[in-house]
Amino acid sequence: PPETSAAVPARTRRGPAPVTDVAKLCVCDLLVAECDVNCCCDPDCSAADFSLFTTCSVPVVIGDSHLCSQKAAIYSLDVEANPPERVFKLIDQVNPSIFCIHATNYEQALTFSSPEIPTSENFDQLLKQFGSATFSAEPESWDMNTDDRNLSDANETYRYQYGVPIQTVDAFLRLPSPVVSSWCSDENPAGFLVNQATKCIRSVSVEKCDDIQAVSMLFYINSSILAVPKSNHMVNISVQSIVVQSLNGMRTLLSDSDVLRLPMILDELCINIVLGVSYHITYTDAGEIIEAAAAFVLGAINKEALSIEQSFEISFTQVNTTPVPVSGNPGYVVGLPVRAGFRPQGYPFPVEMIIQTTNKYSQLTILQSTSNQDCLAAQGARAPVLFGYNMISGCKLRITAAMKCQPLTQALLDLLKGQSFPEYVASFGNSQAQDVLDWVPITHLRISEQRIYNTFQSSCQIPVSLEIEVKWTKYGSLVNPQARIVNVTATITTITLKELPSGRERTIPITSSVVFTDVSSPAEPGYKAWPTINAKLPFDFFFPFV
Amino acid sequence: SSSQMSSVPLQLLFYVNGIYLIFYFLATLAILLYKSQAFSYPEDFLSVDLTLLVIMAIAEVLRLYLGVRGNLTEEEGLLGLSLVMTVGSVFLAVYFLVWQTYVLKIDVILNTILLLFCGMESILKISAIAAFI
Repeated sequence: PPETSAAVPARTRRGPAPVTDVAKLCVCDLLVAECDVNCCCDPDCSAADFSLFTTCSVPVVIGDSHLCSQKAAIYSLDVEANPPERVFKLIDQVNPSIFCIHATNYEQALTFSSPEIPTSENFDQLLKQFGSATFSAEPESWDMNTDDRNLSDANETYRYQYGVPIQTVDAFLRLPSPVVSSWCSDENPAGFLVNQATKCIRSVSVEKCDDIQAVSMLFYINSSILAVPKSNHMVNISVQSIVVQSLNGMRTLLSDSDVLRLPMILDELCINIVLGVSYHITYTDAGEIIEAAAAFVLGAINKEALSIEQSFEISFTQVNTTPVPVSGNPGYVVGLPVRAGFRPQGYPFPVEMIIQTTNKYSQLTILQSTSNQDCLAAQGARAPVLFGYNMISGCKLRITAAMKCQPLTQALLDLLKGQSFPEYVASFGNSQAQDVLDWVPITHLRISEQRIYNTFQSSCQIPVSLEIEVKWTKYGSLVNPQARIVNVTATITTITLKELPSGRERTIPITSSVVFTDVSSPAEPGYKAWPTINAKLPFDFFFPFV
Repeated sequence: SSSQMSSVPLQLLFYVNGIYLIFYFLATLAILLYKSQAFSYPEDFLSVDLTLLVIMAIAEVLRLYLGVRGNLTEEEGLLGLSLVMTVGSVFLAVYFLVWQTYVLKIDVILNTILLLFCGMESILKISAIAAFI
């Protein structure tokens, strides 16, 4: 019982107990909660999966082959049956050699010994024993008592680590995702601290809408999450909010999210179908889950609907912190959006903070090319600037004689730069808003292409291209360099717009691009400082005189 | 005419046992060396098994010598002593059959044959002693 074990001094930890039952051993079962292909001993495979296998990659599971008589698990595929099925036989295999082991009176003979895991208590003893060039294979204290090992395993404090599937009461916390095709597979476990967002298609019908488990809210909040692996402490999944989406796509947030809404048939529609689930898990830095909440989007389907698209996401927040989306820690990670913001000019003291928009994908954006290449008809679609990805986009501008210079210039600037072009870019992926010195100001340049320099004619300069050049360097140690942005320059190129005769029109291409340039300086070796001799006379050496 | 009371079957058994014993000791020693190489055989276990094998060799030789001498000179004392030593040999054979560190199938075969020899000899010794008295 846990209360008495607290009084026992910490034992040396052992590895997990070895599995010796051949019926339960499976070396090809690599994926958790999913069926491995051609693995006939995988417990996650159903009879339908077995009918698709071609061979068994592991035909026999056997213990030590030196034994005279031992149990063997034989897996084979019966291809004659329709559909093919897996045949599992547990037989006693007899070794015909006369040198087979009939019996042994030495327990450690046939198993690998589990090594002692170093802790702060036994480190010195282990170092003394194994720290020299040779060591004896038989340590003095060899504890093979299996009861002792099981008890010390029960005292182990397990905790979640990155990527470990989150365990619930029956199996794992499921985040349905598309596996091979776009159809939802319910066997994808959510990994701890792995933020995921998936979308998949599920087949539904109005008649069977209350039969299908995966479109009901209960399926997603039914089983409670274990706070630490293999424990009895459970965390219930609470419903954070419910948004109801009508048939035409309009979403309404419901005020009461306590009532569980199950699918039901109403007026030839099936309502309360789960269209999206967003899990928010709160964890402590000891690897324990303390809270879990789910936000639902419920919708309705009509008789013609054969399938719906469900979207799932999961995000993790550490307790007592507010999440700030970072694009790297500390260096930028290729593919994550570049973080940017503004510095509000406070009066009389300048504000020491950078304000960013909450959506991390709209902090620094460029124009996004659309299928309709007309610049002025563009709906304002912007693409986020992702670190390391050079991008170029553009559109075509049709200029007629009726267009005036100034409004056209302003419209093109808005188009190229977007609604709120930032002033500062974060130099590191995790720069904090209050460290103003960690942010790099964006330098603006203007280049005008003037073919003919004519001072008399007041020419109309319209911007036609915006090029953002991001200079970054590798920062830190040579083994693990971190990307750091050192300079961002936004160059606007303008051309002279000549007067058009009325009735004629001209098409000008407008481009915007982002280029990432590596300006890393070569690595320098670093040496430790030479030790110095620090010889000084003591303070009171000349005592009576000084 | 002095009728010979020495048991001929017993003498035959002793002769065959002597040859078998040479084979037995060489084979067991070789198998012990093989076991120490093929399996994980800690030193203290190995030394126990080797010591007992040497003791068994000496005991068997002594037992056979006493038995042969007792049978040929028709002295029941020596045969009785040999019978007592058979108990020790049986115990050692059972050790090599059941309580050894690694018991291979060939160990089982060799020691079973040895136990059979001991058993048959014991029966014949008892009848010989009864005949001598």
